[in-house]
Amino acid sequence: MGDSFSRREFLKRAAAFGVTAAGLAELAGIDGPAEAAARPTIVVASKKDPARLVRAAVNGLGGMGKFVKKGDVVLVKPNMGWARKADQAATTNPEVVAEIVRLCRQAGAREVKVMDHAVDRPDSLILRMCGIEEAAQKAGARVSMASSAALYEKVAFRKGKAVTSADVMRDLRRADVFINVPIAKVHNSTGLTLGLKNMLGIVWDRGAFHSSSSLDQAIVDLAGQIRPRLTILDAVRILLTNGPKGPGRTEDRNLVVAGTDAVAIDAYGASLFGMKASQIGHIRLAAAAGLGEIDLKRINVRNV
Amino acid sequence: MSDTDDAASPQPGATGGAPSRASLVTEAGGGEGARRGAPLRGARRISQLVFLAGFLLLFAVAAYPLKSPVPVDLYLRADPLLALSAMVSLRKIVLGLLWYALPVTVLSILLGRVFCGWVCPMGTTIDISERVFRMRGRKRSKDRLEWHRLKFYLLIALLVTMAVPAAHRTTEALGLTQSVGLSAVYLTDPMATITRTFTWVGLPAAQWMARMTSDTVTGWSYSDFLGRHPALDRALAPVQLGLGAVTRPAYFRLGLVAFLIFGGIVALGRYQRRFWCRNLCPLGALLGVLTWAGGKLLPYRVRLAVSDKCNRCMRCVNECKVGAIGQETSSSPTDPKRAGDTLLPHKPECIECYSCIAVCPQHAISLTAGYDASAREDELRLDRRRVLGAIGAGVAAVAIPKSSLSVLRSGATDRVLKLSSLRLIRPPGSLTEDEFVTACVRCGECMKVCPTNTLQPAVGEGGLEALGTPVIVPRAGPCTQPCNLCGDVCPTRAIEPFTVEEKTHLYLGTASVDRSTCIAWAFGRECVICDEACSYNAISQDVSEAGVKRPVVNERICVGCGICEYVCPVEPLGAIRVNSSGDRRHLGREEQKLLRKRAGQEQAPAERTEGAGGEGPAQRGSPYPGI
Repeated sequence: MGDSFSRREFLKRAAAFGVTAAGLAELAGIDGPAEAAARPTIVVASKKDPARLVRAAVNGLGGMGKFVKKGDVVLVKPNMGWARKADQAATTNPEVVAEIVRLCRQAGAREVKVMDHAVDRPDSLILRMCGIEEAAQKAGARVSMASSAALYEKVAFRKGKAVTSADVMRDLRRADVFINVPIAKVHNSTGLTLGLKNMLGIVWDRGAFHSSSSLDQAIVDLAGQIRPRLTILDAVRILLTNGPKGPGRTEDRNLVVAGTDAVAIDAYGASLFGMKASQIGHIRLAAAAGLGEIDLKRINVRNV
Repeated sequence: MSDTDDAASPQPGATGGAPSRASLVTEAGGGEGARRGAPLRGARRISQLVFLAGFLLLFAVAAYPLKSPVPVDLYLRADPLLALSAMVSLRKIVLGLLWYALPVTVLSILLGRVFCGWVCPMGTTIDISERVFRMRGRKRSKDRLEWHRLKFYLLIALLVTMAVPAAHRTTEALGLTQSVGLSAVYLTDPMATITRTFTWVGLPAAQWMARMTSDTVTGWSYSDFLGRHPALDRALAPVQLGLGAVTRPAYFRLGLVAFLIFGGIVALGRYQRRFWCRNLCPLGALLGVLTWAGGKLLPYRVRLAVSDKCNRCMRCVNECKVGAIGQETSSSPTDPKRAGDTLLPHKPECIECYSCIAVCPQHAISLTAGYDASAREDELRLDRRRVLGAIGAGVAAVAIPKSSLSVLRSGATDRVLKLSSLRLIRPPGSLTEDEFVTACVRCGECMKVCPTNTLQPAVGEGGLEALGTPVIVPRAGPCTQPCNLCGDVCPTRAIEPFTVEEKTHLYLGTASVDRSTCIAWAFGRECVICDEACSYNAISQDVSEAGVKRPVVNERICVGCGICEYVCPVEPLGAIRVNSSGDRRHLGREEQKLLRKRAGQEQAPAERTEGAGGEGPAQRGSPYPGI
């Protein structure tokens, strides 16, 4: 990835292409030329086994090979923010992360890095407790926490309203592919935390986002600048109360949602909580900023 | 380690030992005479290195996830002075302390101060430092001042301080008032000093050095590089694990003080070798007393003997690390050169290093076992006035070093309230304040094991008497919820073991929101990251007319772990801060548990969560209905 402009443009085009191609594939049942109306497709896989869920969802988008090329370096960003056990649904399901790593490896990725910047302390305890370290390492990834300012580099948000720049994980900037893997949770500040909110873990000074003029707008500023190639939402078990850290009431939904349109994923994610995405400030602002489709009626939801 | 290697030229046919004693090291005999004694010294050096390595190994594994087949605080537990201090000053017998202290105690009674010469990591570190810095002490006899007995007076003063009632422990739940002593052994105990120095100085230094090689500093992608070389990655894994989190090196705010004290101890070697061990170390004094007692109790002993081959060349006197040879006797003032005075090593001072055997050109010194006719020479020879002075100093020390005021508060039961800083936040499981300050030996083991670096040496929080004791500094890190390591490593049980589940009702303090600086309260903007991060769901939200969520602390659920203060984006001190007003150690664990249960029951059922208590019927009859 060269400078931020070309990369961003590239991602935009890639996303647009993926979206349109998938939309037509949905209509025709086969791959074919793009249809004019760009309706983003998201795939909702519903099965028991998290690994099978991930495979089904990614295959529904055309397989990992569409996103990861041979020799690519992939950065997978799950939620490893809290010293909680996997079954407390405060962190991404480790089997989901591990399966994504495996699929990337099978697609020929040279290296898969699983990274986050935790709120909680200490990193060693979080990595071990949430189970992602062990599972993803077994699957062939390097798992680490970016817990030093030197691991970040400054990125200007040219369209930023609340935040005009931020230090973003260097490994992410240098990766060929960025896959965002949030877990669906309620959030006591932003209402819900899904894909867009999960992005906050790629910046060094999170405090600057919180103390900016608007946290919701700051999240959108970041999401407008750094866009994942693929978002895979873990809704195997979701957290219904006391989010984002819990402990709270959880519910097993056995779902994994995958797509290239981050806003569409979040719009669907909100429905899991019986909410409209427009009720969630940062998702509404993201849609208004043109970052994706918020209207579920205008999204192709493929259930597999 | 810093012995001279000026071993003498071979002197054939040397045998030593008093007629009534069987020599233990004469089997070499003949032309191998020059090597006689050297094997013992070699064995001692190996022993020193092995025990130092063991100490460092246990020090390294005193970290999350704390997996060690032996207690990581083994060396501290084996120290009889620390066990004595904890038990005398707290007026209770702790069997767990007694068992571990027994081996060194028995060893000293039977064989003398073998611990000092062969085991003590402090002694070994001093030996190594003296060798590295080529410090050999001064040779001229007029400089050989006899300060040996200073350590005995120091020990007496310390013991008196422990015994005199210095404060009162109040257990409100039981309505009991009981005295506790004041312990000052932390000042000079070698195990506490060396562990503290390694924690406050050695650990940060090692981690900073490790960090220099990592990509967090160089910018060059160390992790990428290791990713491409899995074999190297695997090989380096234990090193990285041993050094802990190199991305966030530990830091301790009294590091400089520990460094200067330890540097001073080493520097004194310029004046006398092992100056610390021979003149100051109260553990050495205690073991010396045990050695002396052993001489009284056991006529049959192992000791060094000098044969009549001795030609008073003074090599052993100059070589002796602790100046144990040629001391004045009870009968005459010192002059080792004068014929007739004994050159026998003074048993309570001798650290059994056996360098004297190795350097003696006459092979006149040998290790023998048998009836010990020399035991009567081993008197401690303490000066009566100085003993009285030490006792007086010990009593005075109870009154003088406290810098925080205590006032009597009357209530259901009278309680002594210590007027200390709002920031005096103790780790979970800590004894009540006066007991804690007494029991804590400032070894720093809890700070070493703490994975978030929140445990810091107290600077002013608890007054001068609490200098160096552990306090939680939330801005440095939270007392992270799933961790109970500090309670597992405390050698004197100043922090008693506790479970992670108990942390919901071990009230360390209470967080309070500073509404004049809080982003939500003062400026009307969304934030509540404190609520996000709270591990105990102790923060709820007050929604303003404009719809802004503002944090409110439920002080009955908040235990004061400090994660809210840690994550608060308001610089530099945070707009939500933990203070010690919520410290409820005086209530004991059961009553605190009850409080937590009540708080859980009063929460609306919809808000009740796992781990928030509330199970079981309400219990009646607590003296604290309103808390």
